Order: sequence, then C-alpha cells, then structure tokens
Amino acid sequence: MKSALQSTVLASLAFWVGCDVRGVASLPPPQTASAAATATVAPANKPPAPAAPAPAAASKAPAPPGPSPLPDADRALVVRDGQESWTSATGAARSGYTIIDLGDDWTPYIFEEHRGADGQSMPNRYRRVFLGLANDTLDEDGEPLPAGEKNYLELYGIPPSLGVLRARFLEDEKQSCHQGANLAAMEAVETVGYVAPEKVKEEEKRIAHLRGDLESARKKANVQTLTELAGKDPKLEPKVKLVERRTAEKLAMTEVERRLACEGMFKHGGKHSAGVYDDAMRLAVRRFQQKHMIYESNYLRQKTMDALARPPLANDQEALVRVLRERVVAATGVVEDGSAEGKTGPPTYTGANGRSLLVRNLVEEMTQAAVEQLGLTSPEAALAFFQRHSAADLRHLRAAVRLPALPEYYGSNMDLSIVIDRGEVWYDLPWDAAGVRHAQPRKRYPSFHVYVKYKEQRIPLTRWRTTIGGWRAEQASDGYEYFRYKGSDVGPRVIRNVVAGPVWIAPESTPIRTLVKTKTVNGLWQRMVNYDELGPGFLSAYGLIAGYLVVPGKDGKPDWDNGIRAHGSSEYLSMYSSEGYSHGCHRLPNHLAIRLYSFILRHRSMRILGDQPTNIARQFLLGDDVFEIRVPSRGYQYLLEPPLPIDVLEGEIKGTLKKPILTYVPKPGVRYPGPPPAVPSSAEGRAGGASPGRSAGGDDEGGAP
Amino acid sequence: MNSRGRWYRRGLLAGVALLAMLGLAAAVGLGAEDAAKNATVAESSAQKTDDKVHITLQTVPPRKAVVKWGSKTLGVIPVPRPLVVVRPRDSGPLDLVVRAAGFLPVHTRAYTFSDSRVAIKLTPVSEKNTLFGYRAEVPPEGAASPDAGATPPAAAPPPAPAPVPQR
Repeated sequence: MKSALQSTVLASLAFWVGCDVRGVASLPPPQTASAAATATVAPANKPPAPAAPAPAAASKAPAPPGPSPLPDADRALVVRDGQESWTSATGAARSGYTIIDLGDDWTPYIFEEHRGADGQSMPNRYRRVFLGLANDTLDEDGEPLPAGEKNYLELYGIPPSLGVLRARFLEDEKQSCHQGANLAAMEAVETVGYVAPEKVKEEEKRIAHLRGDLESARKKANVQTLTELAGKDPKLEPKVKLVERRTAEKLAMTEVERRLACEGMFKHGGKHSAGVYDDAMRLAVRRFQQKHMIYESNYLRQKTMDALARPPLANDQEALVRVLRERVVAATGVVEDGSAEGKTGPPTYTGANGRSLLVRNLVEEMTQAAVEQLGLTSPEAALAFFQRHSAADLRHLRAAVRLPALPEYYGSNMDLSIVIDRGEVWYDLPWDAAGVRHAQPRKRYPSFHVYVKYKEQRIPLTRWRTTIGGWRAEQASDGYEYFRYKGSDVGPRVIRNVVAGPVWIAPESTPIRTLVKTKTVNGLWQRMVNYDELGPGFLSAYGLIAGYLVVPGKDGKPDWDNGIRAHGSSEYLSMYSSEGYSHGCHRLPNHLAIRLYSFILRHRSMRILGDQPTNIARQFLLGDDVFEIRVPSRGYQYLLEPPLPIDVLEGEIKGTLKKPILTYVPKPGVRYPGPPPAVPSSAEGRAGGASPGRSAGGDDEGGAP
Repeated sequence: MNSRGRWYRRGLLAGVALLAMLGLAAAVGLGAEDAAKNATVAESSAQKTDDKVHITLQTVPPRKAVVKWGSKTLGVIPVPRPLVVVRPRDSGPLDLVVRAAGFLPVHTRAYTFSDSRVAIKLTPVSEKNTLFGYRAEVPPEGAASPDAGATPPAAAPPPAPAPVPQR
C-alpha cells in the first residue's frame, strides 16, 4: 500500500516536472520517427534503414548506476553516454521512451494477470508455472525442480529469465569448454553423418577395408596422397571422399563429445560409448539444441555443429539477444519479423503522403536498438552487465530505451486478417498394401500469413511455415489403432476465441499409449496421465496458446466448430521438416504463436473472459491400471470482438485422390477383431491429437505406418 | 443471550470442532504428522488463512482404499468418511495412486489451486471390460472376421466422401 502510494505520488510528481524526479536521470525526448519509419522504397533490394544510432558506444562498458531513490515499481534503467542510471519509468514512458520489462517476473502478454471491469484480479493458472519454468524453479507439472537442474525451454516458447542467463554467463566465464578445442576438426565438417549404434563396428571395418584398398592403389599409382590418387583416377574419387569424410567426422565427433560433456549435456542420457551416436548422445544433442534454440532434428547438423564450435559465452550472448527480442516484442507489440519479404525484398505499401514505403522488420530493428542502447552488443559487454547487476537487481529490472517510431498503419484497432495457404496437398495413402512407404514430395509447404488492411491496401506483415493435417494413427472404439486422414478445412472462417494455456481434452480416439507417461513422483518412478499432452503447457497438443477456427453462426445459431485450431506447438519438426503434418490444425512454433496472439489481442477490440474452470474427469484402462484424467480449467480465454477473419486456401491437390478418405483405414500388417468402427465426429475428436511415440521436437511426425 | 454467553458458546463450538478434527484425523489412520496437520487445519480455518488448501478424497462406491503419493502413503480413506489432505496453496499437483482390495488401482490427480473434492470411481477387477481402452482379444488365426486386417484401399476406389458440413 505504501509502495503504491509512493508510486502514485512519484508518478504525479513526474507528470508535473516532466520526466524528472529528483536524484534520477533526466531524459531527453526520444526522436519521433526513425529514418526507417519514413523510408521510401529503395531502388534495389536494400534492407530498411538502420535503427536510431545507439547512445552508448558498444566498446565502452557503462559504469554501474548508483543507488536509486525510486521505488522498484517506478524504477527503470537508462544508459546514456555509457553511463547507467535510474529514472522514473512513468516519466520516461510519458516522454516517449519504451519501458522494457527485463524482470524475472515477466511473462508474455497472454499470461499477464488482468483486472476485470470491476477491478478484480483475473488470475491465470499457468502464469506461476511459466515463471517457474523460465526461472528454473519448477518443472512442467509445476512441481519444484531438483536443485541444479535446468529447464532449457526456449525452443518450446519459454525463454530463460535474465536471472538464469546471468548464472549461465558467470558459470561459462569460469569454465574452459572452448579452451584447447580442436576447432579445425569441428570446422572440417558441416555435419556428422549418423551411423546406427549397432552398425558402427561394421562401418568401421568397411572404411578400414576401403582405406586399405585405396592405399594399395595409391602405392601402385605412385602418388603421395589419396587426393592425388582421386585426381589421377576419377573413378576412385567417391571412395576417397567417403574415407576422408568419415575420418574428418570421427575427429569432429570426438570434439563434439568433449564439448557436450563439458557443458553437462550428458546428465540425463545414460551411459555413452565414445564414438557412437547412441541414445545418450542423441539426448545430449537434443539438450544442447534446446539450450541454444536450434531448430534441427536431434543429429549433428549444420546449425548444431556451428553452435558447438562457438565459445560458450558467444552462445550465451546469442541467447541474451533472443531473450531481449521477446521482451522488446512484448513491450512494443510488433509482429513484423522480415518473414513477409519475398525474393524482391520487403513488401511495400503507399503511405498517407502517397509515397511507397517498405514493410520493415520491426522485430529486428527494435531489438537491435535496445541491445545497442543497453550496451549489450558483445559477449564481454553482456558479461560485464551481469557482473555489475546482482541477481536481486534483475528480479524486477526494467529499462527505458528509445525505439524507432511504429509505422503509420499501427493503431489500437487494426483491421487484421489471416490467410493460410495449404500449399501442396496429398490425399493418397502414403503406403501400399505391404506397408511400404511412398514419398509424397512437396515443393510448396503450408504457410501462415498475417495482413493488415490500411487505406484500401492489404499489407503483408508476416509469412510463417505452418502445418496442415495428414494421415494419423487414431484409436477406434474397438480399442485398436487405425489410420485416419485428418485434413484441414478450406474456406473462410473466423477466430473468436483465443485461449492462453489451453487444455486439449483428449478425445477417446487418442491412442491410449500416448496418454500415459512415467515420472519420479515423491521419490518413486511411477506411471501417470500424460498431462504434458493435455496442457496447459508448452508440450500440450495446443501449445501455449490457441485460436479456435469456426464458421460464424447466423440468425442466432451457434458457431460451427470443426475442431481446427491455429495454435502453438513444441513439435517444430512438424512445421520445418518435409514430412511434417498435423491432425488438421495449423501449428506455429510456440514463440511465434505467442507473438501472433499477443499482437492480435493488443491491436484489436477484445474482451478478457479469464480462467475457464471446468471439472472434467475421464477414466481409461492401460494394462491392469485405471488412469483418470482430471482437468480443472480449459485455459484463460480472450474473446475477439469482432472476430478475426481467416481464410484457408485449398492449395494444390497432388496425387490420384482429389478428395480425402473419411473412414478408418486398417494399419498394414495388423490383425483386427472386426471391420473398422465409424469415425467420431466431435470437434475435440478432430482437433489436436497425440502423435504416436511423440517426443518434443516431433521426431515421429509424419504418420508412417 | 448476553455477550459473555455468546463467547462461551463460540468457544465451546470451536473446541468441539477442534476435537472433531483431531478425532477424524486419528480415525482415518493418518500418521502423526498428518494428524498434526489436521489439527493445524482447525486452527488455520479459525484464522481464515489462505495459504493452505484441503483436498477431500473419497471413493465411489465407498471402499476402504490406500492413497499413495509417490513413495509416501498419504493415508487410508476410512469409509464412509473421506480422507482430507492439506497442502500449501499453489504448490503443484499431487499425482496419486488409489488402491482398494478387489478393485483396479486408479491413478488420479489432485490440484492445489483451491479446496477441492475428488471422487474416485473404483472398478472391480471383474468389470475391467467396461472401461474405455479395454481391448477385446483378437480371434485365433483363421477365425477372424473377413474384414479384419483388410489391406488399405490404395488401389481400390476410395469410399464416397461423407458430406462436409458447411454453412
């Protein structure tokens, strides 16, 4: 109460004296528009003009700020001329500065606790878990995380808090994972090919044999190296290349193992055998990818290898920029991330002055401006920042920065719309009667477009990869699994309801084996309902947020819901791999879904309905145990008024079948007790769904028999 | 009733309530620690603190059942009375296993957002086939239905698509 009173008094004071409060920094007004904001179309494919110059020189580490007379609630860090100081957040915001919440108690807009019209708090059940996950204090079930354990969930939409990053920087400064590393070995390969553990010895023998043959040929040809041999006898070139590649990969693998062990990545994977890409190695690589937000399958592909070759502090710096990006996006409410750019550069629109303007990459512009102004432009500068700011400092830290002006089409009620292009669509069965899989290649993948209508123009803001449905395993009422084509509806729809921390009520068609997981509960390894799949949570079938696609009801009739959602997802390979499909929904990586809906909710008329309690309980049998699903809430609901228009384009139908099969199809090679039962038709039965043997990342996506 | 009388009556009622809670805790077979917690509950209720929640567990049909939370036995549901578990508010869910003689074990979850009542439906072992997920045995080889294990209709024309509801 006292703090609130102080805050009010200080805010009032700030209002009367401009943005100054005694004892804190006086801020000059920010520039009203950046060069980029008014840039006309560049003649060639020029990127947008750079953001406003940073006041703090990157090379000059700011001095630590002195003590602040301001209460925490109204205190913001500002960096001017390389000097950190505290200022009034209220005053700074009034002067046009953007206040970025860098505190450990930050959540994206969708998980903020709002107040109703009556002033009552409308708590969000998932907020506590989100904060616990971001701060490495809770696990996905909301239970305490064992001491020293790390979550690494940035890849799934939950960036680490600055407190967690601070600990990471300070720890990595002391360790020597990069010292003495054989970087040449790492750089000699782009990827490390996968050899199944049971075939490693066989492969080694094969390569040794091949090497022996080539050495004999080299001696016979009287040349010094195998490369010379390949030059002399081009027929041997592929064999020489294979031997050289395997040799280089072996050296690189040794370095990879050393680095992963040094970073503590082998903690959970069981025993690893050197030189073998076993399960322990795969899990270690996955953990490393999670830590560094690398969207790749769990193998040693290019991005993963690049990150393994970088010094740990350089990776930490990249993590810091990513974390700041989400904070800046939340503070500014922008969504344009450059994804709408085509081969000819950014899209354009005609401004109020009749001039052609570029659609800017606001996410990067704003992020870079903030990074530069806060002096966090290098790993050394970031380390120094964390050394001079204690963990307690970061708990509620906010920063005042000057950011470029928003484009003229921005407002509190923007005319937004979404178009989903299904890309190339196959209805044919992807396997034959013998269960042999047949490729269904696609050149054009499903895409998710956000538009704003401004002065009779439809301006593209983003263009992201998404998913459409395909062939999936489903449990029928006879208890057996069949395949079913779970397509994505075509035509105009609307999104009326947006749910943060949504819960997917698993329909009875969900394969039961996906609804149970094992976990240590109170010291005992036991089976339990897989609430990860149901939500709320980052692994949920609906991800961290979902919009419900419906055909609006007319003449007093209710909306028609066919179970299709546009939602976040942790199964990123279903979006980014060539064989990825959903159960009919349009998926986005969780962090993009959060950005999308935060943007929509903040730039359109909407009502906050808050937590939607329910009391759903359902039992199912697995083996000789009964499992009971208990769902206390459907999530935190926002109502778009009017609803958001969304159009799903049919795309190009490939293959023989031009309409989908709507019945169950028996799995090849499986014996059934009778003919397939009828398919269910409920909305929940259509929506979401667990993937067989699913794991985060979605390695098993694709619905192969 | 005068003021002194009212206070006397309130004190008596509070005492009875406290004794009842203690008695109940002892009767349902909670350990000393849990009994002490229940005693605390009575005090907490009187003080109207919001930092604890009460989870009331009962079985349907009412049968004596052991409730375990991981390696810890929370107690026995002493039919016809329920078992009351006290937990700190918002301290995360409790994944419980409930076992009653002659019935299938039930894995359930209780939440700590607010006070709640969890009615756990028990299924006799002999009625396992009434539960969703029960798989009928496949008839022996050769006796299967002609449609069982049918090959996918890849080569055959697909069934006519059902009309997609549109508005």
